[in-house]
Amino acid sequence: MEVEIRSLRKVYPGGVVALESLDLTVPPGIFGLLGPNGSGKTTLMRILAGLLEPTSGEARIGECDVRRDRARVREMLGYMPQDFGFYPNLTAYETLDYFALLCHMNDPKVRRSQIEQVLDRVNLGEFAGRRVGGFSGGMKQRLGIAQALLNDPQVLIMDEPTSGLDPEERIRLRSLLAELAGDRIVILSTHIVTDVAMAAERLAILYKGRSLFAGKVEDVLAPLRGKTWIIDIEEDELSQVRADFFVSGVFRSATGMQVRVVTEEMGHARGYLAEPTLDDAYVFAMKEGAELGEAV
Amino acid sequence: MRPFLSILRREWQLSLRGPAPWALMGLASALAAWRVSAAGCSSALAAYQAKQVIVLGVGVLATLLAGSAATRDRRQAAAELVFAKPVGVSPVLVVARLGGLLVALALVAVVVLAAASISQRLLGGTAWRPLPYVAVFAQSVMPLAFACALGFSLSSLFTTPLASGIATIYWVTVPLARAHIPAILDLTLSQHWAVAGLLSVALISLTATFHGRPLRGASPVGVRLGWLTVVALLLAAVSVVWVLAAGDDALVNPDPVLVAMSAQSCLPGKRAPGFWMPDARGQLVALSDYAGRPAVVVFWSPAAPESAGVLAGLNEVAEEFSGGGQARQEEGGVTCIAVCLDRDAGTVGLFADQVSDRVALVWDRGRHFGRGAEWSDSPIATCYDVGEVPTVFLLDRDRTYVGQSQGEAGSSHLRRSVSELLSKP
Repeated sequence: MEVEIRSLRKVYPGGVVALESLDLTVPPGIFGLLGPNGSGKTTLMRILAGLLEPTSGEARIGECDVRRDRARVREMLGYMPQDFGFYPNLTAYETLDYFALLCHMNDPKVRRSQIEQVLDRVNLGEFAGRRVGGFSGGMKQRLGIAQALLNDPQVLIMDEPTSGLDPEERIRLRSLLAELAGDRIVILSTHIVTDVAMAAERLAILYKGRSLFAGKVEDVLAPLRGKTWIIDIEEDELSQVRADFFVSGVFRSATGMQVRVVTEEMGHARGYLAEPTLDDAYVFAMKEGAELGEAV
Repeated sequence: MRPFLSILRREWQLSLRGPAPWALMGLASALAAWRVSAAGCSSALAAYQAKQVIVLGVGVLATLLAGSAATRDRRQAAAELVFAKPVGVSPVLVVARLGGLLVALALVAVVVLAAASISQRLLGGTAWRPLPYVAVFAQSVMPLAFACALGFSLSSLFTTPLASGIATIYWVTVPLARAHIPAILDLTLSQHWAVAGLLSVALISLTATFHGRPLRGASPVGVRLGWLTVVALLLAAVSVVWVLAAGDDALVNPDPVLVAMSAQSCLPGKRAPGFWMPDARGQLVALSDYAGRPAVVVFWSPAAPESAGVLAGLNEVAEEFSGGGQARQEEGGVTCIAVCLDRDAGTVGLFADQVSDRVALVWDRGRHFGRGAEWSDSPIATCYDVGEVPTVFLLDRDRTYVGQSQGEAGSSHLRRSVSELLSKP
């Protein structure tokens, strides 16, 4: 099963163009959606979740069109929005029981075992009887993941799932996603490059409603191979280096300052080749996107 | 059915968990018990007192709770979680939400009625009967359902708790100021159940139609129940026309016969105005049916607790002096007529088993609003110039108005006055 997006366009009332003729194919596995705020990630996810009507174009999950077969799409979908809340006067167990009922899980035994399973998966088993009103941000985030897993979805859509999580929880979530992926489609939207670098097999980089790149992680790195350099510099050289090269990152090390640059030819004496990272690729893509935007 | 009940249970927890609803339930019960203890009355009167608390107090609570339930998802940012679920945009959810509330509010009504019942048994003293409580429960559920639908739909459609505030204003003002607005707007009356029920269905289906629309920037995706809304609205309109054309809302549709009757006036020493009023079974009772007998006409209202004593006095008089039972036009004995001044058609039936079968219990539609009203919706009380409820009128064999007494004082002198009347040729 694949998620197919063809010429998808969304213009909000008021004329804001959130998606500009987007084409994307998402095969099973973890798929990262990278992009700055306002690039259209959330709009795309909400369209896939059936919460938003696209202006034009088509989006299919497997055989189902998200506009026409909304009920079937919802059956096979787990969705975790970017900003969400729960009913504070229900316990974690009751909250999940309520959402399970909304997923047509009518057998109480099935519901119970499924809820216990997902609560354990997100490490909230011991808090099942506690009211959600007293939960920390991270716990709510985990409960949000739990509710998306309730119906054992074939497609899991997670909008910024790692925001608000502490480092340990983030690592745990990444492991969980890796576990879940298998033959499922997991679409993970984030503006944190490391999350995608660590978890995703494929990714798309969105910029102002367009896809700048879509494919495997190694394919986004390939064009930068042999063009990514590290230069050891003195502190006062930074502005000169910025003027001469495209800088994708500045770091401090024990020996001094290092700058990562993307360039065809290295004209600096202390520059040496480096293995490109997703950070380099992302920053470079953003620059290309901005130039493309200006050209348009 | 079972999943629906499970959703209902969770909805109940969502709406009524926490101390506030229970505190309100306790308050309403205490208020009902207090009203009953002050009235010191029969089961029917006690149940009626509780009904006022349920329809007004719990009705307001219902509107606010329903409004709060309708905006809960958006308020607590859970809307996207709910709408992305398969049942999240289904009318089942709307119905379950309202059903959960209604079950909860019905429970509140049961508790309030139980409090009134206990108060009546402990303090009231007179015979306890379950039937009036059951009848009042049935009469209260429809206004509560309408209150729920109104609050939920307005808040849901306009996505603001302010809307349920507006609905609450309706709920507070209509029953309180119902003398001054067209009666058809008063959906707390049991004669308007059809209108209230159909409007509730229309509101719920309209809400279900738009329920689940995306949060911003798109057309509705909810389940389309527009046709049900249209059908329910059309039927409601037909019901309204029927009530206006053939119904009994005096303010909207003054009956020419009643207008003519109310144009009479009752003066001491003169012949008392005749009347023609429906009893609990809808049969018309005319004063002229009892020609040649002295008559005691009591104007009373279940809203006036002193009525209980006067009705008890009238029962005694009827048992003692009515001679050959209720047989009309029979020589000897006294005619006893209890005129109920309550606007709700359901009320008269409630009291049918509370008065002796030798008393004619009739309904002068509507509430009496005191001396000086040129046209009230109680035409006979107007022409008898009833200033205070209860009031007892004494008419001699020629139907001449010989005296009246007001308040509880009426019951103590009643036997003596009736004896005097009967002793006259």
